[in-house]
Amino acid sequence: MNAAGAASPGAELRPVAVNLLGVVEQPELGSTPYRVDDDGRPYVPVGDGGIVLGLRLGESVFARDADHAAPGACLVHPDQAARHALAAYSCIGNMAVVRTGRAAGARGAVLGQRGEGGRVIAAFAQEDLARMRPADQVTVRACGQGWRPPGFPPEVAVLNLDPAVVTVLPVATGDGGPVRAGVRMIVPSKFSGNGIGRPSASWDLDLQIRAGLGVADLLLGDLVAVSDLDARYNMGYRSGWLTVGLVVHGASPLPGHGPGITPILTGPASALLAEPDEAGHTGLTEAALQRFSAAELEVQ
Amino acid sequence: MNITLNAARLVTQVLAGEVWPALADRHVYRVGPDGQPFALPGMGGVTLGVHCGDPATGYASDHLEPGASVRHREAGANMALQFLTCVGNPVRVESGPAAGALGHVIGQHAYVLVDFAPDVMAGITTGDQVTVTAVGQGLALADHPAVTVKNCSPGLLEAMPGGTGADGRLEVHVAATVPAEAIGAGAGMVSEYANTDLMGAYAGLGADLSLGLEGLRIGDIVALEESDHRFGRGYRPGYLTIGVISTGQCMLFGHGPGPSTLLSGPADAFRVVTDPDASLASWLHEGWDTSGSHPGLETAQ
Repeated sequence: MNAAGAASPGAELRPVAVNLLGVVEQPELGSTPYRVDDDGRPYVPVGDGGIVLGLRLGESVFARDADHAAPGACLVHPDQAARHALAAYSCIGNMAVVRTGRAAGARGAVLGQRGEGGRVIAAFAQEDLARMRPADQVTVRACGQGWRPPGFPPEVAVLNLDPAVVTVLPVATGDGGPVRAGVRMIVPSKFSGNGIGRPSASWDLDLQIRAGLGVADLLLGDLVAVSDLDARYNMGYRSGWLTVGLVVHGASPLPGHGPGITPILTGPASALLAEPDEAGHTGLTEAALQRFSAAELEVQ
Repeated sequence: MNITLNAARLVTQVLAGEVWPALADRHVYRVGPDGQPFALPGMGGVTLGVHCGDPATGYASDHLEPGASVRHREAGANMALQFLTCVGNPVRVESGPAAGALGHVIGQHAYVLVDFAPDVMAGITTGDQVTVTAVGQGLALADHPAVTVKNCSPGLLEAMPGGTGADGRLEVHVAATVPAEAIGAGAGMVSEYANTDLMGAYAGLGADLSLGLEGLRIGDIVALEESDHRFGRGYRPGYLTIGVISTGQCMLFGHGPGPSTLLSGPADAFRVVTDPDASLASWLHEGWDTSGSHPGLETAQ
């Protein structure tokens, strides 16, 4: 066993960026519109993929009667292998530029990804989202997988983060000490739902939490820690570990589903500390994310 | 089981399936808990030497599917096969040297999993056609309206010990109780398809990965704590799910031996009795021979 195995390949290597083509998704449904919730009630899923308008970072994951709604546009690719690559290589904070359609030229940034077929969630200004439509092409400047922030202990693996974005998140490391991450809350590993057992570089992890069931409110863009979860490769139970993720989509009525986190840090609890602050936590904000679509950060 | 069933109201359907090959891609390797690359057999095809009653873990295998793995070539017909087939349903081999032999469904895992007697299994291979005599979906317990029954043939339920107790609860015998921390891949999926992988059963790996589940056997009846599988598979305090271990050893992280769902409802609707003999091996294998006579269970007509 080599707990540092995940960390070593990128320790002294420079990250590369690749331009990937993402295509704005249209949500898909089967021949029946209904899904079934925890208590057997049928519902029509709204907001599960595609472009979602009006939903913003900082809103409660429980604020909308929607299913897995993400703030922005979901990007896919018509070739399944290229779609998996899009999800695997895109990182939080990567710049996304619209190439076609009425919003051509608009800049946004990657918020996270979702699993199964593979989707990248890209955040844009509301006026840009309103001019976008499914099939619009978006270039994602994908960079970050394999990169490690300087000074991080080797036991802590870093995932799905643009090299620039760690500076705007409540994540810090002391000299040779553990990484400290400010989070909204720490949840037990048994809350892990859809996404458990799947690769953390391309899937999000749904948290099985429901509004008003003893869990504090959770906002889109928050950081959350999951105890006893190792997310270096596939995500799975390991006692004494901790995984920190960014909340990228809202709640779901579907059993085993819920608000989803894109994992960003994982390691033994001795090297990765989560500091919960239910009332005062600030994760990734719209203002911070907008910096990554700005010209001055274009070259990293 | 001492219980009132609506079995007389159910209909039986004859479904076609095919023994499906093991699948790989050109990169071969997948990744274990500590980043170990592995290339291990067990999923798809016909997996020999592991039957109901045998240990679920301890093999050099990944996603071990005991016996024959069956699906249908056409997507819609395959989903019907996967959704409608129930544990305990008889399966008849229609082609190849084992034609005419009978086995039984032990669970689902994106394939219908069929256990045959060892001498029959030796003659089955990829591409063999099989017939499933499917009955069980729609089963309901009039005296336990809060409990949902899934993927369970009436004959299996009748063969299981327990039933309606004096206190009105449904007594179910289980070989093991599984904590919610063990629930791995399969969470969030529908409970009529595939199964729920259990983590914490990686035989031979680190103690920090263990949840004490290395002793599970294929065919064991297990209780999943804090699990509601009535309309999918989710974590829910106060609920309990009963399943049967239908798959074994995994090296892929977040995966492991998996129960197919049989019963689910509020925990206080059940009385769980720990019983090491609570296994399909105690019921399906009784009287097993290649002619396929299995007292107490449905036989193909």
